[in-house]
Amino acid sequence: MTGTAMPLNAQGAPMARPGRRRFNLTFLGLVPFAIFSTLFLLIPTSYLIVGSFLDSQGSVTLQNYAGLTDPVPINAYVTSIEISFVTALAGGVFGFLMAYTVISGGLPGPFRSGLMTFSGVASNFAGVPLALAFVFTIGRTGLLTTFLAGIGIYPYENGFSLYSKLGLEIVYFYFQLPLMILIIAPAIDGLKKEWREASENMGASSAQFWRYVALPVLMPSLLGSMILLFGNAFGAQATAYQLTGGFINIVPILIGNQLTGDVLHNVGLGYALAMGMVAILGVTLVAYSFLQRRSERWLR
Amino acid sequence: MSGSPGGVNRLGQGIEAMQSPTTASTPGRPRSFARLIWWFVFIAGVVYFILPLLGTFVFSMRAIPTFSAYTDIMGDPLFFSSLAYSFTVGIITIIVSIALMVPTAFWVRLRMPRARPIVEFITLLPFVVPPIVLVFGLISTYSHPPLPFTYTDIGSSALLVAGYVILSFPYMYRAVDTGLRSMDIQALTEASQSLGAGWLRTLATIILPNLRVALLSGAFLTLAIVVGEFTMANFLARPAFAPYLSNLSSSAPYQQAAVALVSFGLTWIAMGFIAILGRGSRTRVTVTGAR
Amino acid sequence: MSSHRTVTRVTGLLVVASFVFAACSGIGGGASAGASAGKMDDLVAAAKKEGNLTTIALPHSWCNYGEMLTGFTAKYGIKINELNPDGSSAQEVDAIKANQTNPGPQAPDVIDVGLSFGPQAKTDKLITPYKVATWADIPDKAKDADGYWYGDYYGVLSFETNTKVVKNVPKDWVDLLKPEYKGQVALSGDPTKSNQAISAVWAAALANGGSIDNVQPGLDFFKKLNDSGNFVPVIAKTATVAAGETPIRITWTYNGLSDKDSLKGNPPVEVAVPTSGRFGGMYVQAISAYAPHPNAARLWMEYLYSDEGQLIWLKGYCNPIRYDAMKAASKIPADLAAKLPDTAGAALPTLDQITAATTAITTGWPTTVGVTVK
Repeated sequence: MTGTAMPLNAQGAPMARPGRRRFNLTFLGLVPFAIFSTLFLLIPTSYLIVGSFLDSQGSVTLQNYAGLTDPVPINAYVTSIEISFVTALAGGVFGFLMAYTVISGGLPGPFRSGLMTFSGVASNFAGVPLALAFVFTIGRTGLLTTFLAGIGIYPYENGFSLYSKLGLEIVYFYFQLPLMILIIAPAIDGLKKEWREASENMGASSAQFWRYVALPVLMPSLLGSMILLFGNAFGAQATAYQLTGGFINIVPILIGNQLTGDVLHNVGLGYALAMGMVAILGVTLVAYSFLQRRSERWLR
Repeated sequence: MSGSPGGVNRLGQGIEAMQSPTTASTPGRPRSFARLIWWFVFIAGVVYFILPLLGTFVFSMRAIPTFSAYTDIMGDPLFFSSLAYSFTVGIITIIVSIALMVPTAFWVRLRMPRARPIVEFITLLPFVVPPIVLVFGLISTYSHPPLPFTYTDIGSSALLVAGYVILSFPYMYRAVDTGLRSMDIQALTEASQSLGAGWLRTLATIILPNLRVALLSGAFLTLAIVVGEFTMANFLARPAFAPYLSNLSSSAPYQQAAVALVSFGLTWIAMGFIAILGRGSRTRVTVTGAR
Repeated sequence: MSSHRTVTRVTGLLVVASFVFAACSGIGGGASAGASAGKMDDLVAAAKKEGNLTTIALPHSWCNYGEMLTGFTAKYGIKINELNPDGSSAQEVDAIKANQTNPGPQAPDVIDVGLSFGPQAKTDKLITPYKVATWADIPDKAKDADGYWYGDYYGVLSFETNTKVVKNVPKDWVDLLKPEYKGQVALSGDPTKSNQAISAVWAAALANGGSIDNVQPGLDFFKKLNDSGNFVPVIAKTATVAAGETPIRITWTYNGLSDKDSLKGNPPVEVAVPTSGRFGGMYVQAISAYAPHPNAARLWMEYLYSDEGQLIWLKGYCNPIRYDAMKAASKIPADLAAKLPDTAGAALPTLDQITAATTAITTGWPTTVGVTVK
């Protein structure tokens, strides 16, 4: 039999067109995507895969992967995962709240397009300009720091520093938050207004509406968006490099050190590190698929 | 709708409300306390966004004479030409990306749910492939026959667009998928096909309009990526904006800060245009009744 | 065979050979000695025919490359296509590797890389030899005997200070530890990646009881600096110096001095070469073996190593490699010579020393100074 089930319409009866014939055509729908990805993504990535098994002389080796178990890479992976997870969660929650505010929270209409367009720009404001912007704001001599000093608050005396993991997370938040806002907006928009009204009509409180209607419906989208945020932070490099100068150990910086630097580099190790990231992303995706399938179960 | 509770009549009205098309996003009846919370959330977010920009602005004003950082930019033709190039590449990327992603996401949701993990994994790959690996891979592959993209300027620009479409994969796919999730594509497709429309027509006239919000999100993200992207434009030797920004002598810090702000503003305006273009009518098409 | 035909045959062969030889010396490899007057004209003509030159990783404010690039185009009418100004040495070499079959503008013709990259590029067959007309003026220690790579300029590590924020300019490494400089000292790069930063650690070693072959005291010094709270763990750039966030930046003399010029007193900047622990870093030039414009590349080299080119670098506060030879021939104008900071006694390491120290510093930094997260 074919791999796909017999397509049914809403009433549960089989579709008019025969399913068998459809099977032959089914995978064709993905052909443009497949061709494009192969040409422009998978082929360049193959250099990555092949290169991770070569050493600097060009002979095959597993040494690069063995190098992943050294303390410095392990620490880098742990730190990267931690920072990505924290900013994905924070960005996810706060981004959802902000998006909800302008879409359904009773704020004037233009605020919505203003926030959406601003989020578009801010989501990619990263790298050196972003790092410098925060240096100018909450660095030791930053605008906010100086202002706070004027009213007697000295964050740097009390252990805060922009050049720390927390500082990096605060900076990452600047592009995580808008990303979440943009990605979750269609889902919030799809939250039918009628459901809210119907639930109120039936006597549910706001909290009950959220718990039993809104959040379950939104959960797959929320999870999907947070995965995106995780991946986004995971791969971010330029901002971190500028801001930490070798003091915070995250994987993209390690990769950059091997691939592009002023000192002789072990490219194979860099590729192996990148493959490690691919593996972690794969695992995260599996976890997400599982969670998502569970949360979608009752919807159909 | 008044607030009187209960009654079969009321229930009937509720169901009717669900079945009729409405315009999206007009507020319900948030209570004033909740409203206050939302305002607070919004303002907190805005303050967080504005502060770093303010810091950059204050820094850029330290140039002597005060506005010289900005007048320097305005007098530089390369600023506008590189920004125009990046915007153009961005628009083309958006179009190609939408043309590729919408049918793909649609097909996966409708017909090939088993393929979803693979497709999602591929769309997330651009996050973990270092851009420098990607661009060197592209150059190595396409700098000789049979597909010598780098031989010509147009070819190199085309290669750049292809690279940017790849970079936009995660965002565009996620946005479209989220958008598709909130409509019943199964029912819509069947209804449209039972009325005689083919796949292309269904996609173009039924699915696409309902994805307006999602596509706008994806378009914004893609444009921002393209304007801000440095590595690929740099190594493909394209006259894009980010290499220009980096070219500005790093000994001119005030000008660099000013350029960052001005490009932020101009990109925001460009997005405003896209938003206006995409506004259209906001009616949502609902087909089935209560679930 | 009749002698007549033999003569014709041999003559024919000689003519063909001379054409081939002329063609080869114009295009491919061959360590041809520098161009004499007639050959120079041929080179200029051939380069002009190519019409373009592609350079990589040459920021305009680095050693006054801005003037060098515009000067070359003005003199020969050859357009220069500049790639990746902020690139690192590794990116330059990688660009050659990735563009081996590419005749387009993405393929660099010439590279300017850290000393350690020269021999590696030679081994990897990525560069081609060429000896400029002034080859003899380049010290033997600073060039490859076969002509594959050759030193171009060097600079010395110094302290660039924002005197608006820091009234008391530090004069030596030990000064940096003073409590008045709390939260003010920064490096210009990441010591596990950037040549400048690694050199800074090395220089600190020289000033604190170490030597060219013993860099551990340098790592210890930075550990002390970090523990005392004087060190700011961010990459210092002109912007951060100007903002007062990293008012003391450890960087090459030419970077600091060019900042001083371009900031024009807003804010005022002083550059001080430390009294002890003077460390010089040299860069080398090379022509890509896959250069799409090999003649333009050679002409560029001739320009760089001509008196005119060397003086342009001098104007950018870099010590050009032919400095001593030109000084002996009285070719250095007194006012330019005066602008160069006093770098007497600066140590210039050999290739082996660089390899050893680089390994020691890049592996020692994370464990000694601490990459642990607060």
